[in-house]
Amino acid sequence: MSQPRNSYAVGTGLFIVLGFAALAYLATQTTSVANVHQGASYTVDAHFANIGQLKERAPVKIAGVRIGQVQSITLEPGREVADVKLAIDTHYDKIPQDSVASIYTSGLLGDQYIGIRYGSSKKTVADGGTLVLTQPAQQLEEMLGKFFGAGGVADNLGGTYTVKANFTNVGALSVGAPVKMAGVPIGSVQSVIADPVKLDAEVTLAIDKRYNAIPDDSAAAVFTSGLIGTQYVAIQPGGSPDALKDGDEMVLTQSAMQLEDLIGKFLVNGSSGDKKDAGNGKPSESPAPAGKH
Amino acid sequence: MNPRAPQGNNVVTQSLAQIGNCGLFLLTLLAAIPRSFRYVRETIRQLWFVGAMSLTIIMVCGLFVGMVLMLQLYHVLSIFGGTSASGMVVALSVYRELGPVVTALLFAGRAGTSITAEIGLMRATDQIDAMEMMAVDPIAYVATPRFLAGLIAMPLLCCVFCAMAIFGGHLIGVSWLGIDNGTFWSNMTAVVEVHTDIVNGVLFKSLAFGAVVSLIAVYQGFTTPPTSEGVAYATTRTVVASSIAILALDFVLTAFLM
Repeated sequence: MSQPRNSYAVGTGLFIVLGFAALAYLATQTTSVANVHQGASYTVDAHFANIGQLKERAPVKIAGVRIGQVQSITLEPGREVADVKLAIDTHYDKIPQDSVASIYTSGLLGDQYIGIRYGSSKKTVADGGTLVLTQPAQQLEEMLGKFFGAGGVADNLGGTYTVKANFTNVGALSVGAPVKMAGVPIGSVQSVIADPVKLDAEVTLAIDKRYNAIPDDSAAAVFTSGLIGTQYVAIQPGGSPDALKDGDEMVLTQSAMQLEDLIGKFLVNGSSGDKKDAGNGKPSESPAPAGKH
Repeated sequence: MNPRAPQGNNVVTQSLAQIGNCGLFLLTLLAAIPRSFRYVRETIRQLWFVGAMSLTIIMVCGLFVGMVLMLQLYHVLSIFGGTSASGMVVALSVYRELGPVVTALLFAGRAGTSITAEIGLMRATDQIDAMEMMAVDPIAYVATPRFLAGLIAMPLLCCVFCAMAIFGGHLIGVSWLGIDNGTFWSNMTAVVEVHTDIVNGVLFKSLAFGAVVSLIAVYQGFTTPPTSEGVAYATTRTVVASSIAILALDFVLTAFLM
């Protein structure tokens, strides 16, 4: 009589232990409490100015092959530098000391990982060593800025002259944004300040001296490159015989388009268009209100 | 002591009377907990029956839920190039919803029905009345141990289910579809919180579902008409009422816990 009851008790005890083991597994292995370490590895430090979206346990790769993972990410006390500890498999212990650790992104929206490019030094980095040469995470904004940037052009060619332009709204225009004419960068935005008297934005444009024949009745407009791109100042040449000079002010300006305004216009136009369509069914009606553009 | 099936004149009053009787029955059950301590061996036997014997179905189902979830998510997320987030989404959806709900539904089908059938048959063969004749409290000896066993077993089963689902997701995601192992775990651990997901999601919800399912199962067993047809109906009603109660309660709990 007591034999089956004991087997129940043992089986029930096993079940309870298994249940709690599963709970412990969930709580420690799949939450932020987790800090597992797999296989033999050695740790290497790397300091980054910016780690972007890098997370702990993100992969560390050489030539795209995974060789370890990020062990910890801490901020250096008192310095604006992230201290990243890399746990690298002991199989890969021949990493030169002057190798470069960079933070890359897999794809456009993917996760970030650390890529190591070999240096040429004979010395290898040891356990507890530091990879001195690092390259921080690339910020999308900076990359776009570089891509569309004109600052380099202006700097390389040397010598700019400044022109002022007042906008009622500059949107997200920032200092260093390119100034373009016909889509070609000819300068950059030097400063964006709010005018305390006129209550609008005063933008100072630094334009390359080579382009010294821009008519003084040209218009300046704040445009956006693409749907989510950065904003830039576009100059649309006028017809005046006189050219813009250093310190001049551009009178004709066009402010940045706000996405909300555009959508608002679109919706309003859409509804008026519908009315117009409905009206077209009856030719005797008066013409639809001209509000489309 | 002996709640009878309510005699209502339409569906609404009948359902309301059922719910009211069920609530009263819960109070009787809870009041009998101190008296049932002397039958602790019976509680362990029931825990073995409803918990340990349900492990197979729970583990197999958990594994397949995790696998199919990962497979589906991978194909959707690959459109956006976000496949590395699929482990995280599997963990969150299993902890917060699928784990407790599917475990409770399986538990109702596997353990709830047999509790109802067993008690119903006890009533049909006058075993309950015999116990009363022998001065054995049937609530303390039959009902409460089964209720407590269900209450204890459900959170444990849910933990096992979730662990198997994560294992299944890992199996498909990492071993088959080629998501990086470290990314899989790092994304998961970055998002899953002990309090909101494990305690509130897995433990609290499954405890509530366990209470509801075992209450309905025991109540249906005790109130069944003492015929073989009545036992069959009571078993069916256990599954139907439990499923509705689980899904409705899940919505309420989620709304409160969010």
